Amino acid sequence: MQSRRGIAGLLILVLISCTAALAPWLAPYDPLEQHILERRSPPSIQHPLGLDELGRDNLSRVIYGARLSLWVGVTAVLLALVIGVPLGTIAGYRGGWIDSLVTSVMDVMLAFPTVLLAIAVVIVLGRGLTNGMYALAFAQIPTYARLTRVGVLAVKEREYVLATRVVGAGPIHLLWRHILPGCLMPLQTQAMIGIGTAILEMAGLSFLGLGAQPPTPEWGAMLGQGRGAIFAAPHIVLFPGLAIMLTVLGFNLLGDGLRDVFDPR
Amino acid sequence: MLRLIPGDPAQIMLGEHATVEQVAQFRADSGLDQPLPAQYLGYVGGLLRGNWGRSIKTNVPVTAELAERIPATVELTLTAMAIVCVVGIPAGVLAAFRRGSALDLVASGGTLIGVSMPLFWLGLLFGHFFGYRLGWLPTSGRLTIGVELEPISIVHALSQALPKLLTARLNAGIDFISNFYVLNSILTANHTALADSLRHLCLPSLTLSTVPLAVIVRMTRSCTLDALGQDYLQTARAKGLPERDVLLRHALRNALPPIVTVIGLQTGSLLGGAILTETIFSWPGIGQYVVNRVLARDYPAVQGVVLVIALLVVLTNLAADICYVYLDPRIRYE
Repeated sequence: MQSRRGIAGLLILVLISCTAALAPWLAPYDPLEQHILERRSPPSIQHPLGLDELGRDNLSRVIYGARLSLWVGVTAVLLALVIGVPLGTIAGYRGGWIDSLVTSVMDVMLAFPTVLLAIAVVIVLGRGLTNGMYALAFAQIPTYARLTRVGVLAVKEREYVLATRVVGAGPIHLLWRHILPGCLMPLQTQAMIGIGTAILEMAGLSFLGLGAQPPTPEWGAMLGQGRGAIFAAPHIVLFPGLAIMLTVLGFNLLGDGLRDVFDPR
Repeated sequence: MLRLIPGDPAQIMLGEHATVEQVAQFRADSGLDQPLPAQYLGYVGGLLRGNWGRSIKTNVPVTAELAERIPATVELTLTAMAIVCVVGIPAGVLAAFRRGSALDLVASGGTLIGVSMPLFWLGLLFGHFFGYRLGWLPTSGRLTIGVELEPISIVHALSQALPKLLTARLNAGIDFISNFYVLNSILTANHTALADSLRHLCLPSLTLSTVPLAVIVRMTRSCTLDALGQDYLQTARAKGLPERDVLLRHALRNALPPIVTVIGLQTGSLLGGAILTETIFSWPGIGQYVVNRVLARDYPAVQGVVLVIALLVVLTNLAADICYVYLDPRIRYE
């Protein structure tokens, strides 16, 4: 069964990923190279997306920014999965006070807006792209923990799991071979959407000055630095914003597509 | 968690030229020399007594600084929420009623783009287009310089007859309400200030409402489609009810409870978005406040903001749960 949205999302992401992978060959200039006398220049043949506040080529910075954004999004979600899935598995499988404790902590974390949680973590760890990525991973842990817990609760009472337990399978074998595989589909879908969310929120943190620091060519940081020149040179903020929107749209479409395929309801 | 930050906040605040004795005195005065559990217990006890500490940066009580700024954020968030409800729910319902039509496709596409768009980018573009290019709307602050807004004074006349403590608390409450500029200008019949404050609210609230609007339109469409597929609508039609009543009194009524719950859950998203929106539009709320204080490592201020936002989220979800009970009689009887 196919999903047009999923295919559209996949095509967008293939384009973005290839751009990121081939950045050194695609970018016409060094993203840090300054042409200070031509700062804020509008789009032209030499500089198709114009120059920014410090005379750096916007196109090159947008291309290199794809690498950073994809790295942040994928790594943040992977970290959140590595911590959240085991937490949710233990809570759902063991039940009792462990379940109550994990669920309570996750509910408290979910009560806070993600941006606020990420800000709180960033001021502990310090500003920077990597610390911002850790902050976003931390903020996404409750989502995957709860999703896994719900999946484990649903699957662990199925007949085939009970039968496997009856024949003497241990908990590790049960979880790894029988229960967790049944929980994978919603996690995959959420992970795609989560990568898009992480990219969006990293851009927000960088915009506030708490994520990527100058002169890193991260899309949100480019928006933050170009803010002051928006009236004179709107192209400085237009193209990084479009890049963010296109990338996040690709992940959202792919996530929707996976949901259409694996959960047609 | 804030206490894990490397570096001594006392040293940071007093500067590198402060003596060891001055730093030690500051730490003793601020309670920073106590063990962490003692600091936490002291903080919780203070919270319950209304003492939320003093800002390390300004030495002003955090409650006073927050009281000045909370109305701005609440006003912005409520306006954005109103836009989400007034525009989002009808749009989602129409998209469901006309499934597969051009309206449905536009709604689906628009919502997908809406949830993918960085709202701070949208805010910058709105400001550039509507503020700078067209000059229709202001792009910063809550009131234009020169527009006067008097504090609400209707109770001040009464305060002469009241005991001093009650007067002080009443005046503090009135000052708090006075910072809701739209409400204040209505109560004081100040039409100029009302129009000006509404104009200033337009761009920030439109920006802030974008993502929740997209979520609510999708959710409303999905819930309404679920409700339209139910058998009881066939029964209603068989009883001879007009189609309008079938759709509005039965389908929509049953689609509303989960939509209301999601609206409540979107409060967190709105408050998180307010942090970015207030920064873009220089809106003097707690969002802008927390960004400034984070960079200054002002622990009490950041703790105060986190607490206020958590309380607002809890209260809004409680209100949504109460609405849910009203909308779904089955919950009442459980």
